[in-house]
Amino acid sequence: MQRSNFLNRRNREHRNFLLFTILLLLTVRLSAHPLPGNALVKTHVVTTKDFTLLADTTIRGRITAKDGSVLPGVSVTVKGKQTGTTTNMDGVFVLSGVASNATIIISNVGYETMEVKVAGGRTAFNLVMESAANTLQDVVVTGFQSIDKKKFTGAAVTLKAVDVKMDGYTDVSRMLEGRAAGVSVQNVSSTFGSAPKVRIRGATSINGDNKPLWVVDGVVLEDIVNISNDQLSSGDPTTLLGSSVAGINSNDIESFDILKDAAATALYGARAMNGVVVITTKKGRTGKPSINYVGNFSTQLKPMYADYNIMNSAEQMSVLGELERKGILTSDILSQSNWGVYGKMYSLLQLDANGNFPLQNTTEAKAAYLKNYALANTDWYDVLFRNSLMQEHSLSISSGTDKSQHFFSTSFYNDNGWTVADNVKRYTLNFRNNYTFSDRLTAGFLTTGSVRQQKVPGTLKRVSNPVSGEFNRDFDINPFSFALNSSRTLTAYDDQGDLNYYQRNFAPFNILKELENNYIDINVIDLKLQGELGYKLTKHLKYEFIGALRYVKSSQEHQITENSNMANAYRAASTSSIRERNQFLYRDPDVPGAQPVVVLPYGGFYNRAEDKLLNFDVRNSLNYVNTFAEKHSLNLLLGQQIKYADRQNFSNIGYGYQYDNGGVPFVDYRILKQTIEASFPYYDLTKNADRFAAFYFNAQYTYDRKYNFYGTVRYDGSNQLGSSRTARWLPTWSFGGAWNLDEEKVMQDLNWLDLLKLRASYGLTASLGPATNSSYVLNSATTNRTFPTERESVINLTYLENADLTWEKNYQTNIGLDGGLFRGKVNFSLDVYSRTSFDLISRFKTAGIGGEAYKSANYADMTSKGAEILIGGQVIKRKDWGWRTNLTFGYNNTKISNAKNLPLIFDLVKAEGGNTEGYPVNGLFSIKFDGLNHATGVPQFINEEGKSSNDVYLQSDSIAYLKYEGPVDPTITGGFSNTFNYKSFSLNVFVTYQFGNKIRLYPVFKTDYSDYDALPKEFNDRWEIPGDELITNVPSVLDAYYKTLQQGASPYNNYNYSTERVADGGFVRLKTVSLSYNLPGDALKRIGFNSLSITGAAINPWLIYSDPKLKGQDPEFFNSGGVAQPISKQFTLSVKLGL
Amino acid sequence: MQRTSFYIGFALLILCTGCNKYLETEPDNRALINTPQKVSQLLATAYPQAGYASFAETMSDNVTDIGVGPQERVITDPYLFVDSRDNNEDSPEFYWNACYKAIAAANQALASIKVSGDTSAYTAQKGEALVARAYAHFMLVNFFATFYNEATAASDPGIPYVTEPETIVIKQYDRMTVKYVYDMVEKDLFEGVGLINDNSYSVPKYHFTRSAAYAFASRFYLFKKDYAKVIQYANMVVPNNDFASNLRPWNTTYNDISDVNTLMRTYAKATENANLLLVETESLWARNAVNNRYGLDASIQSTLFKRPEPLSGGNWAIKLYSINSDHKLVPKIDEYFVRVTVNAEIGNAYVMVPLLTVEEVLFNRAEAYAYTGNSAGAIADLNTYASKRMLNYSATTNIITAAKINAVYGTTNIRDGIIRAILDYKRSEFVHEGMRWFDILRYGLTVTHKTQEGQTLVLTANDPRKVLQIPSSAALSGVAQNPR
Repeated sequence: MQRSNFLNRRNREHRNFLLFTILLLLTVRLSAHPLPGNALVKTHVVTTKDFTLLADTTIRGRITAKDGSVLPGVSVTVKGKQTGTTTNMDGVFVLSGVASNATIIISNVGYETMEVKVAGGRTAFNLVMESAANTLQDVVVTGFQSIDKKKFTGAAVTLKAVDVKMDGYTDVSRMLEGRAAGVSVQNVSSTFGSAPKVRIRGATSINGDNKPLWVVDGVVLEDIVNISNDQLSSGDPTTLLGSSVAGINSNDIESFDILKDAAATALYGARAMNGVVVITTKKGRTGKPSINYVGNFSTQLKPMYADYNIMNSAEQMSVLGELERKGILTSDILSQSNWGVYGKMYSLLQLDANGNFPLQNTTEAKAAYLKNYALANTDWYDVLFRNSLMQEHSLSISSGTDKSQHFFSTSFYNDNGWTVADNVKRYTLNFRNNYTFSDRLTAGFLTTGSVRQQKVPGTLKRVSNPVSGEFNRDFDINPFSFALNSSRTLTAYDDQGDLNYYQRNFAPFNILKELENNYIDINVIDLKLQGELGYKLTKHLKYEFIGALRYVKSSQEHQITENSNMANAYRAASTSSIRERNQFLYRDPDVPGAQPVVVLPYGGFYNRAEDKLLNFDVRNSLNYVNTFAEKHSLNLLLGQQIKYADRQNFSNIGYGYQYDNGGVPFVDYRILKQTIEASFPYYDLTKNADRFAAFYFNAQYTYDRKYNFYGTVRYDGSNQLGSSRTARWLPTWSFGGAWNLDEEKVMQDLNWLDLLKLRASYGLTASLGPATNSSYVLNSATTNRTFPTERESVINLTYLENADLTWEKNYQTNIGLDGGLFRGKVNFSLDVYSRTSFDLISRFKTAGIGGEAYKSANYADMTSKGAEILIGGQVIKRKDWGWRTNLTFGYNNTKISNAKNLPLIFDLVKAEGGNTEGYPVNGLFSIKFDGLNHATGVPQFINEEGKSSNDVYLQSDSIAYLKYEGPVDPTITGGFSNTFNYKSFSLNVFVTYQFGNKIRLYPVFKTDYSDYDALPKEFNDRWEIPGDELITNVPSVLDAYYKTLQQGASPYNNYNYSTERVADGGFVRLKTVSLSYNLPGDALKRIGFNSLSITGAAINPWLIYSDPKLKGQDPEFFNSGGVAQPISKQFTLSVKLGL
Repeated sequence: MQRTSFYIGFALLILCTGCNKYLETEPDNRALINTPQKVSQLLATAYPQAGYASFAETMSDNVTDIGVGPQERVITDPYLFVDSRDNNEDSPEFYWNACYKAIAAANQALASIKVSGDTSAYTAQKGEALVARAYAHFMLVNFFATFYNEATAASDPGIPYVTEPETIVIKQYDRMTVKYVYDMVEKDLFEGVGLINDNSYSVPKYHFTRSAAYAFASRFYLFKKDYAKVIQYANMVVPNNDFASNLRPWNTTYNDISDVNTLMRTYAKATENANLLLVETESLWARNAVNNRYGLDASIQSTLFKRPEPLSGGNWAIKLYSINSDHKLVPKIDEYFVRVTVNAEIGNAYVMVPLLTVEEVLFNRAEAYAYTGNSAGAIADLNTYASKRMLNYSATTNIITAAKINAVYGTTNIRDGIIRAILDYKRSEFVHEGMRWFDILRYGLTVTHKTQEGQTLVLTANDPRKVLQIPSSAALSGVAQNPR
């Protein structure tokens, strides 16, 4: 019953609102015709003088914030009376006529309201206000406006930085994990600079970006390089430029506002489809200078074998023994590119340079040699990782008068590296000045800069091989994946304590030596200048300007010295069979019958990649604010925006750089000849230009503090779709309404109800998809012809014109209910939403007749539905102790309702998942496992034709026989935070969770194993004799004969993509536990400090629950090698000091 | 207030027009076509960069089931005469797509020329575009529609003849008829060939030079059985009609090359006079041709290269190799492998393919001579050919005569004898190159494939499977498939 009434009322609201919005949007001149019966009312300022006659006593006091800064403009009222005042610029108030038993109420936007009893003749008060967390008495900062939460009709979450900050964590995007309902953060890699996978309300696009828009102080933070969804987890070096917020000092942040629905993001129009995260940085505060220092000292624990499922060296050696018996580890392996213990044994059996046999070719000598390695049990984690020390020092100074305020901050972050191969230094600077020149004119200037110096292990781009279904990364030396994948029989040092070498790429290899000689230096300089201007044209009309200039330059210097395995691989030519097999040698096509020769006789490589971004963003707006007849409050905003971003990427290969020889390059002309003949550019430069212009209009109207209406129209133009004028422009719009139920008379009698608001919104948002061919696209290319003399520069018709190309779009409906009960003890916020994305870019197969066999066009649609719950509050608040809790829960479910793409099996079974109609975005599929072969123990599958076979053609588009496992992205995410305080102690326990997704286990099965590979313990259960297939699903290790029978099939690799190798992705993680101690005020005063607190925190200390099938694999982490690292267990000591 | 609104409106108007200019900046490194040179660069891609040899050869009688070797679907399907289920390199669908991609490049070039207005500067480009467009359509119609037959061409469904760039996502096309396609090919070819200027090319062998266009014309009219025009155009291909010194020098220069890799690479080199038009194709044919289960075995090889060659009595100078003892090959398909990155082990395989050769033109002319009653001319052309193919050729002992032809083929009709001689020579000359397939189509030859499993598959004269199936996705554009 209640429900239907409720809906009826809402519909009526909805209709009225519509009428009103239309009225608003049609005329800008509305404000010229005041609503009937209005009279301008001057704000009644209560001064102390008015009440002198009633004086019982006069109280005075000073109000400061927790960090010691003074708070001007705080409202101080006497409970139950009309008496009141506000604090002055020094945070001081004087209030006369206060009854000696009165209670005063102190309230300020953004802070918890305080009640203080004037008892015992006390007349002087020094009060510290606590900032409010997740309360609704706040404002929402959209980047364009700051809107009173009571009037706001959209779905947004405001998070105070002090509440979400994780001491010792540098990347601010990771701090949002579990804090806001509907925001999912997946740490696909934790290396500094790499971006986590952040989704606000799940995916909105199939092939386009799904990452939210980051906005800092009103200006969109452009990415230095655009990292696509799949690239994010690739481990490629460019991913370290993926986090646009990596240059922000988290101590400078005041708050985050996460804008989720169409009404909230409306002013970002055609860029807002994936939600917006607005970061507001700190401003200078009026009062005498306050100095704050924050020092964080952290260490990360080394990973341990106990957490992983890897054979020890004895178990491993027994498998190697089986391989030897099966004819795989014979002395033939010496001519293979990679070998470990066995290869070393065979090489030691040969005559050395001094004419001796280092190892006697006797059974006993060989057994002794192998036994030695069987007992090695090398702890690669111990060798390659260390308990690092990370330190972060941040200093900020805030000062100001009523005419100008300044905020200065600087920080230094130094991480000496979790592994032996990485380290990071980051410096930041932030300088912000705000001026009030007159009643009319205000201005603000902001300068931020950051410099990053980072070292990571050398790596190349990974390459996907759809034929065999593997991702290849040559010369991968990622310490984490090395430790996970390298046999524990290998040792880093030999008996004499010297480095012990094995063979990789036909050249000697030792991981420690390689990490020293093959690394990437990353340097990033990020500079932003921002100016703001406000001018009051009339009492109600204000002109505002905001302009920003940002310049980012980054370089990746991949240094590969002459001592590295990678350089030596170019020189491996010791025997004729190696010469024939080594692909890095050069065979001159101009010389008939030429033998392969070394073309890198000296030196290594100096490979450089540079990314540059130059970005301008300028906005002009007019803002009209007025209240008529006390009941009609109106706010109109009209503006215009221009964005300009130029990106440039440059890369080149430097051959023959001699690191040990004065840095002189020695280039054999033939290595360039080889490069050119291989049709490979030895340098590359790409430029991208992003031009964007927009016009926007927004109106807000509130009637009697009860009924709020909000409407926005925006018109965006971009050059990203190509040069067609019709595709270029897109109008977007949204509207919403909110009803403050608590303001209704009926509700006001309910003492326990602080706040109740019902809101609804609907709108159209958009985003640019990954297609740029509103007119045809031509690209220059060189030809792939055998003879360089026959090559020419040609122009390819890359994409045909698509006259109908448009933006990816999305209709969003959101209904929410916000409430506060029992004076802040319980706050809640509930949202349900539904989104219909359409015109999504989908790649599909065409007739080919136009000349483009596969087109990307606006041919896909998807829907998503979700719900979000936030419940929290200060449950207990006593004098000495309290408990505050906060639970967030977000559910999101996506479904591709229409897509004409024809995915291949490989596209759907890979760890990142794939997209096909009728399933969620990034759905994970598996090849159906069909038992082990009775005779050989080779796995069998249901192949693309529905038959049982050892061979599945991964490039087939026949996907009917795959099994759908679930989405790769979690459908349920959230967090649970509890803060207990007792006197000066405060304990925070924060748990995050996610459920509903599936993950692919690491690919550990191969057709052939070398004496290099580490095998997981599952291999103990492997098929060994016929009949074992009845009791195990772990395939056999193939002998040399059966290997030849596979005839190009890859059953072992298919096994990695089978139903056997999938686990549930749900987990519950104890994200942080922190204990803080605030030194009491009196003690501090004596030593001249305003505040001093010490915090000890543990980050990621415990994975409380995850699927046991994972056996140590982190459910968030994609182990893709390269520069990727999993999240670590981290312990931090944090010192905060205020002067 | 009203005035303020007016000012704001006016300012927005100005901003809007400024904005459009501002938004005209190209978003990325895309190229713009604004000079004849750039149109030429675009036209370098107006050639189908895909191989037909793989499926055409495998459907022909040049291959058999050897019984060993890998089985790639792209080879297995054509051998078993089933519609290809693969759409990767060397599949009919891949070739279909490449032909239409080439046509799109030609059409875009023509559209750009039209827009430029300055057509006189673009004459040569227009010529190349028209001939290239004609070539790609011509190849498509021969593979994907019923082979040209004057009697039924006006009713046999053709393939869509595309003359303008596609600007919408899914456009509807009409197959029209085979006659329509042939008429359009003739129109484009005729208009284009006169505009071609050989001096406009930086690497002429990869473009339609006049010679190449005439060679194409000789093939076109041969397929259309307009023999007078075949002779007319064939006579314009090589300077002074000197075919002899422009044929591949198998019995001299090639015979001296001992390194097989060098020999393979030389075959498709631009400096070879015999190559009139080359194209780079993404193809695995270089490996599939020599190791697939279905390929050239010893028995077919000995049919193609009889010792001695019966007509001339000489021995073939064409070098024969074998791989794994079962697979036979003539070293002519060379793979150029481009790795995806410098250090990668995976990459894309390319094969340079001679699309038009002097040998073909010579055979076209000989065939036309035979049909126009000039037996002497035809036999002279066969002798020209033999003089470059027989080891230690002697003009006295190795000379081919009408009598020899009649004797070898057991006929008294010299025209029939000459035709059969030409077809046999062509079969040998173009082994691995797929040219045999066109002769099978033209003369309605029957192809029989046997398998080790005991199947015998026969492709009769008018078997509908001789017409390759149109990709099923063509239905999106309203294009019907061929009957089965």
